[in-house]
This record gives sequence, structure tokens and C-alpha cells, in this order.
Amino acid sequence: MENQTDVAEGSSAIAHPVDRTIQAGHTILLRLPSGELRTMKLEKDANVNLGKFGSFNSKDLIGQPYGLTYSIVEKSLRIVPPRPLQEVEDTDATNELINDGEAVQPLTVEEIEQLKKAGLSAEEIIKRQIEQHTNYQLKTEYSKEKYKKRKEAKYSKGFTTVIPTLYNVCEYWYNKDQSRLRDIRPDTLSQILNLANIRPGGRYIAVDDASGIVVTGILQRLGGIGRLITICDVDSPPAYPCTVHMNFTRETTAVMSSLNWATADEEYTPIIASHEPPTGTFKSEGQKTRLGKRKVASDVLMHNRDELFAGEFDGLIVASQYDPWSILEKLYPYLGGSASIVVYSPQVQILSDLHTKLKDHTGYLGPSLSEGFLRRYQILPGRTHPTMNTSGTGGFILQAIKVYATPLLHSCR
Amino acid sequence: MWSTAREIADGDLVIIWLTRDILQPLLVSAGKELNSRFGVYRHADLIGVPYGSKVGSRNGKGFIHVLRPTPELWTLALPHRTQILYLADIAFVTSWLDIKPGSKVIEAGTGSGSFSHSTARTIGPTGHLWSYEFHEARANKAKEEFTRHGLDGRVTLTHRNVCKDGFTVADTVDAVFLDLPAPWDAVPHAKAALRTDRPTRICCFSPCMEQVMRTVTALNDAGFTDISMYETLLRPHQVDVVPAPPSVAAVSAQLKRAEARREQKRLRQIAQAHRGTSTAKRKREDAEDAPPQPAHDAPVAAAAAGKRAKTAEGEATPAVATPGLKEEEPQPGEGEGGAGPTKVSLSKAFPEVRGHTSYLTFAVLLPASAYAEAESADASAVATPQAAA
Repeated sequence: MENQTDVAEGSSAIAHPVDRTIQAGHTILLRLPSGELRTMKLEKDANVNLGKFGSFNSKDLIGQPYGLTYSIVEKSLRIVPPRPLQEVEDTDATNELINDGEAVQPLTVEEIEQLKKAGLSAEEIIKRQIEQHTNYQLKTEYSKEKYKKRKEAKYSKGFTTVIPTLYNVCEYWYNKDQSRLRDIRPDTLSQILNLANIRPGGRYIAVDDASGIVVTGILQRLGGIGRLITICDVDSPPAYPCTVHMNFTRETTAVMSSLNWATADEEYTPIIASHEPPTGTFKSEGQKTRLGKRKVASDVLMHNRDELFAGEFDGLIVASQYDPWSILEKLYPYLGGSASIVVYSPQVQILSDLHTKLKDHTGYLGPSLSEGFLRRYQILPGRTHPTMNTSGTGGFILQAIKVYATPLLHSCR
Repeated sequence: MWSTAREIADGDLVIIWLTRDILQPLLVSAGKELNSRFGVYRHADLIGVPYGSKVGSRNGKGFIHVLRPTPELWTLALPHRTQILYLADIAFVTSWLDIKPGSKVIEAGTGSGSFSHSTARTIGPTGHLWSYEFHEARANKAKEEFTRHGLDGRVTLTHRNVCKDGFTVADTVDAVFLDLPAPWDAVPHAKAALRTDRPTRICCFSPCMEQVMRTVTALNDAGFTDISMYETLLRPHQVDVVPAPPSVAAVSAQLKRAEARREQKRLRQIAQAHRGTSTAKRKREDAEDAPPQPAHDAPVAAAAAGKRAKTAEGEATPAVATPGLKEEEPQPGEGEGGAGPTKVSLSKAFPEVRGHTSYLTFAVLLPASAYAEAESADASAVATPQAAA
């Protein structure tokens, strides 16, 4: 076994390892002062325009670690040190004397625009607004905090780079368009990966119709060692858009191959155009290359099929729009004994029906159905409570273990 | 870690699945026997058998399934030395802390090793886990266990009170997980153990809100940012296969038939009364006038039946009995496809579930060097607030 107990002892290197820092060509996520996330592919030496939040040159970001906050001052980036949580002093103020609808804000939009043009910083504009706010002093300290936060979100120029962890990438996609993820929340994704026992060196089959978020997770947890065969419903290599934000290295994604529901059918022989020149000799170099490529592609396809059909995979992970039972019937034979089977669905009905079918088959041990619950808290000194808005469900997971149905009897041995 | 071979070998750790609730780890050792209430098994009989096999007992008392250990099965089968972490928390923490192959991780305390096994699996052979336990006997037990499970290469276990004495590594790890009664005491030590060349993360696992508040203060004081707190659970569902809920049309028809029968009876009685009444008959009539017993699980239907038609006892029940059957329904799939009524699979959350494990307080530590110069040189510069939530 491995023997490297002391491999990580001592200080970390001074230089940033290249793959951990922001690089040209990375697809990055930026959190804007408004809280909104923006994604972009970072070009080598290009102007990045964030609209009212400013613009800067991409080369200022290259080589930086992820996770830092910047302010944009005259098109250049300045790192902003993280700001600690502020203790808010309790006062006797209440909203007793504050009425809705009163004109309290004497600075007009035009005036604010002028201040901005005059080059005033967000902080100064906010200070002016507060000075002219007739009821500001009546507010509670909590309310003053909120007011300042709201204004900062509006007038600040800058952004924070989001560290491309699996959690953050899943959260970004979930918040952007959860239907494209089939409602897979970060907590649910983490449970899927753990239940499927994804480990470096393992061999897995996945059916991911959730924009590739499950594939992304499996690839990360394999870390470039092991195997992943995905089955898709298109005749070209499937697009798994979620993988993009992880900026995976070539080695990380090289463990994955894809078949589709036709090529993954053992009874079916894929129609492969001949890679021999029809005349017996190559007409041109171009034809030679073209036919050579065709041969490589068909060899890879046949190899992947053989590998799938040879079976003994360690796990099957399904997050698909198709009938899960039809998927299991097809892929179950390729699983090894004791393999983990994890099926995700946003709808409990789909998995209730599947649960009943699995219980009728002795080849599936201990099918169990569960739903994720996640609650986030606002955590501020003196203001801690669960967030007011939250996602209602993390979807459902059905999990079972493949077992060999025929019992081995030893009493007569 | 554990065997990845297809067949079980002598010396392997296997998980014996007796029932859904009874899982048992077993170190296969030729010559030994396993005695359970599901029969007697010789370890030797398991050797050479593929993982995932169903094995019959020698004395014909039952079957067991022999499974390949996974950290998730281990969590269900492990000998408890302490309160342990379960899947929902482990998975969520792993994900938030960005634990992946190659990660260097600290956990304190080791406890029963539930989190340790999961982490050891995820970090793989290129990662490393430093695990600390302040209880000596538990530390020794855990150490033996890790050795037996082939984890010596990737887990270093130290008997140590980290709140007092800190960790054994400095500027090294990517993530720290603290499951301690007073994690705030260990936060400054954790900061020293976290590597400084890239963003790192910490999670403190505490059951009480008061602990969370102290932890947040400690994290804040130590310069951690992006402090957030979560609670996560798995809500298990049960699935029952039951006849499809019948239509009210059937109830309606039944009630109408009952009403018609009663009317016939009344007419019959009138006819009989003309021929002379007996006291016995009057008694029976009184009984019929009494409201029928409301059927379990369907008070509304029963009440309606009682009001509309004062039928004889028992007559009101058949129409509403079906929903009540749900609980007694034996095995799913029974009679499926037969002549019986259509069956449906219905799921609902278990009536009693775990309601709280602990609060998970997370924070990020940004590489201080990256903004150190900014901090000093920027005193006069425009301070743009952090956009973090």
C-alpha cells in the first residue's frame, strides 16, 4: 500500500501551483456586489466589462488565487482584505416613528449619477445619502446595517472570484436554473457521490441528464484514476456543461467515455462506415487522415462497448429523464457483486414505483428511499436565524446494492 | 483500503447484512465461525465467494448477504465508541470542505471513525488525513481499526488534546473538521495547521446554538471569512404498495343499496306489524337506530354514512375500510398483475425521524499573503465592501 505519511509535512510551497490559480482559458465565476453571479471564459489579455460594476483587464486576474475580493479603481484591480463580521450595538430605537411612503431620500437619481461621474466612491455616495436621509437616525442599528448593505450592493465597483469547488459550481447552476440540474442541490449531489462510493480507482457507469452535474462530481472524486462510462441519448459525444466551470485538466476527464442507448445495446451492431478506401488505395492525404480518424473513432467505440459488456463495475448512478427501471434492466448486468446503485429523481412517484419493483427482485438488496433536507442560517452577531427563503426539497434518492440472487448453500458441502 | 478483488479472501473485512437494521463487520479468518440468529456460518465457506453473494447457513436457519465494505456501510455497522456522524452530515461536510482525491485533511476528534473512513476513501492514496483523539482508549481502538483496514498509509492518528496542545502539522492542510465540545479553543490551532498558499476551509460540528455563536466569534477573530451555517438531514421515506384509493362512486352505490335494503325492510316490518308485533322485534329496531361505529381512519365517511342512513352495524364499514388497510398491507408486489384491484406505490416520510444532529458552521481562510500588502498599502485607498453574502 501507499506509504507516504510524511509527504505533506512541512510548509506549503511559496509559489501557487498553476492549476489552483486563475489561468487564461479558465471559465470563471464572479460574484458581483449585488450578489449576482456572472460566468465568463477568461481570455488572455482582454477587457472584461461588468457594466455598472466596472471593467478591468483580464491579465490582472491571471495567476491570482481564487476567492479574493477586488475593487475596481480606474480600470485596475485592488485586492480588498476580507471584512470581519460587525457586532451591532443594541439601541432603544424602533420603527415606531417611521412611516411608509414618506419622502426620506432627497438625493435624486440624477444627483447620484452626477456624484458618480465626479468620481466619488461608493462609500462617499452612501455617506451623503445617509446625511440627507431624514429618518436615518430613527432607524434601529440593525436597520441601519441593512440600509448600508443595500446601498453598497448598488454603488460598489468590484467583484469576488468564486472558488470553483464542486459545491460552488453546483450551487451556481442550481440557483441559475435548477430545472437544468433536474433540481439536484449541492447537498443531494454530495449524498449521491458518497452513496455511490466514488473513490479514485473505482469503475462506474452513469446516466446523467442533469447537465452533467453528476458526471462533474464523479470526475472530481475519481481524480483522474479509474473509469467512468456514461450512457447518453444523443449520437454525438454528450455535452456536460457543468464540467466547464471546474476547469478540469485533461487527465481528469480522460477517464470518461460515452456510449448512447444504441451503442450500449449488446444486441445491436453499430453501423460503422468503412475506413478502407473504396478503391483500395488512398486518393489523397486528406482522405487518408479522414479514414484514419474514422478508424480510431470506431476502434474506441468498439473498445468502450467491450469494456461495458465485460461488466464488473463498482457502481451505477442515474439522474435521468427516462424510466429508471428501463435503465436498470439494461445496465444491471454490467455491475459487479455488492455494487452501489443510486438513482436520483426530483419526483418521489418515480422512485416509489421503482422501489416497489426493486423489492420484487432478489438481485437488489435493501432498496431505500430518502429526501434531502437542508436549512441555511443567517449567521450574524445578534441576528441569527434560518434564511427566510429556501429551497423546498433536494429531490429524492433511491439506493440499493447489487447482490447475486442465487444462494450458495453450504450445508451439503 | 478494503479489498477490491471480486472474491472474498482470507483476512478480508466484509460486511454481513443480516437485516436492513442489523449489519455486522466481519474479519474473515479461516477456521472461525459466525453464529447469528440467522444461523451458523464457517468463515472458510465465505472465502472464494464473490462479494455480494447470498449465503445459506450450515444449519438451515437462514441466509446472509456478504458485502464489500464501503464507508457508508461501515457507518451502519461500526462498533459505536461515541455518538457518530451519519451520511447526510458527512457528505455535506465533504462537499463544502472540497475534500477530494489528494486533499490533506485534519479531523478532531476521531470518535468512532465514521467520518474518518469516508474521508480516507475520498482523499484516496494521494491524500492524507490527520486524525486526533483525546481519549486514550478510544484512540488506541481507532488506531488498531485503521491498521486493520489498511489505512496506515493515508491516516495518521494521534492521541492528543488539540484544544490545549494544537495539531502536529503546520501550514499543511486544505481542510479542518472539528467535532469537539469546544471547537472555539481549537480554531487558532486550526488556522496554524491550514496551508497559507491557497484558500482553505474549516467546519465545526456542534449540536447547540450557543456553541455555534462562540465558534463564529472565534472564527471571525481568527480572520476566517465567508462564515455560513447549515443544518442538513436525510428524511427517509417508506413505500407502501396498496390498492388504489377507491372512487367515492363505489361508496355512493353501496350507500344507495343499503338505503334501498332498509326501505324494503321497513316496508316488510310494516307489513309484519299489521300481522301483530312482538317485543323482541321492537328491541332490534332500537339497535338499528343507534349510530354506527365510526370506522377507523375515515371518520368523515363514517359520519356521513351514519347521518344519511342509519344502517345496521357493520354495513357502513366495507365502503370505507380500504384506506385503513394501508398499515396492515403485508409485502409489496403481492397479487400484482392478478385479478385484484390495481395497486399503487405510495411513499411518505417515516413518522419518526432524526430531527437534529448538529449545526455545521463553515468558514474559508483566504491566503493572507495575497492581501497582506493590499492591507498595509491600501489605508488611503477606496474601501470597497466585500461582496460576499
